[in-house]
Formats: sequence, structure tokens, C-alpha cells
Amino acid sequence: MYRRYGDRVRFLTLYIKEAHPTDEWQMDSNEKEQVCYPQPKTTAERVAIANDFVKRFHYEIPVVVDPIENPANALYAGWPERFYIVDEKGVILYKGKPGPFGYHPEEIEAWLSSRFPSGEAPAKSSRNSLRLLQRNARIAALTASSR
Amino acid sequence: MLKKVLLAVLVLVVGAVAVVVAKMGPRNVIGMLRYDQRQEGKLKVGDRAPDVSLVALDGQSPVRLGEAIGNRPLVLVFGSFT
Repeated sequence: MYRRYGDRVRFLTLYIKEAHPTDEWQMDSNEKEQVCYPQPKTTAERVAIANDFVKRFHYEIPVVVDPIENPANALYAGWPERFYIVDEKGVILYKGKPGPFGYHPEEIEAWLSSRFPSGEAPAKSSRNSLRLLQRNARIAALTASSR
Repeated sequence: MLKKVLLAVLVLVVGAVAVVVAKMGPRNVIGMLRYDQRQEGKLKVGDRAPDVSLVALDGQSPVRLGEAIGNRPLVLVFGSFT
């Protein structure tokens, strides 16, 4: 999704307090996968885990970290995981339910594909319009030559 | 008669709880009861996304969420490693 729409939509990961740290609600699956961290007590500890996460998954989406006082989580109720879509003016367009049961990437995908149908970039500037025209001309040429 | 019905209901409830505990695992059930912090929160669709101070992955640079708003729609992904 990020690769497909990342040029037209900004994606941002907010790294918040741990969902299943070893000293709270530990999960068998995290033990199996050796994702074992206690709940951080400082912002620096949380940043360190966020960096481990990025490294482990070669995670490409930009990540920012909620400081240890959890201001972002307090405002957005993001724990344990949740999606939002915010428009260009800063208005919330979509608020997902909390995960794991309410966490539905396919709803984000559906919104993206309806906003940007057939993966076409919006022709906002004349430069974009030009690119789109050039591409359409190429497609028209290809279609004509294959007939 | 009433006693029998109550007893049957009690047995069913205990049975259902036992099944849930067995399926989820006792540790998971205790974890959920003690540490579940899922909340709906106050924000609604149509509200302005509040700005908040965050930290970059270098652990030093301050980042404001508001900086990410504008010229393109923004998908926010909240989560953690665990």
C-alpha cells in the first residue's frame, strides 16, 4: 500500500506504548518470535525498541515515536494499533477501531483505491497533467500498434 | 424447578468461561483483564486532527504531527513492536 500510494498519500507510523511487553500482557507468539521487551520507562527506551522494529522488518514507512508520557496515545486512543486517515486540511476522514479485531488495512486500501482509482495520480499541477498526458499518449500508441 | 433452571444456567456459564479460558490460554486471559487499554477515544470523523509533539527515530529531534498534514492525505498507523 505504501509503495503503491506513497507518492500521493503520506504514511506515518506513530510508535506508541508496547501492547504486549514481558512485564504486562505477555503473548506466547512474541516469545516464539523473540519479541521480548519490558514496557519502556523512558522515551529513549521506546525509541530503541522502535529502531529494533524498523531493522527487523526493514520497515519502510516513516516512524515517529510517542514520548513516554504518551501524549499521542492519549489524544488518539491508538493502543494497541489503529488507523486514521486525515485529509489535506487536517480533518479526520476515517477512524479505525482498535486492533487486533478492529484493525483493517483493507479499509485503508479501499479508501485509497476510491480516492485514486486505477492507481492514477491526480493531475494537480500542470507538470503532473503533462506526465499523465504523455503516459496516456504512450498507452494510446501501444494500443494502436497492437491492433 | 427454579433452582434447577438456575443451576443449569450456572453450569452453562461456568462451562462457557472454561472454554474461553482454555482457548485463549490462562495467561492471556489474566493479561487482558489486567492490561487491556483499548479505548474508543474522543476523536470523531470530521474533527480536526490534534497536533502533538513526537520524537524522531534518532531519539533527539522533535517532530510535530501537524508537520505531516497538508498537500496530501495522511494515513496514520498507530502500533508497537510487541
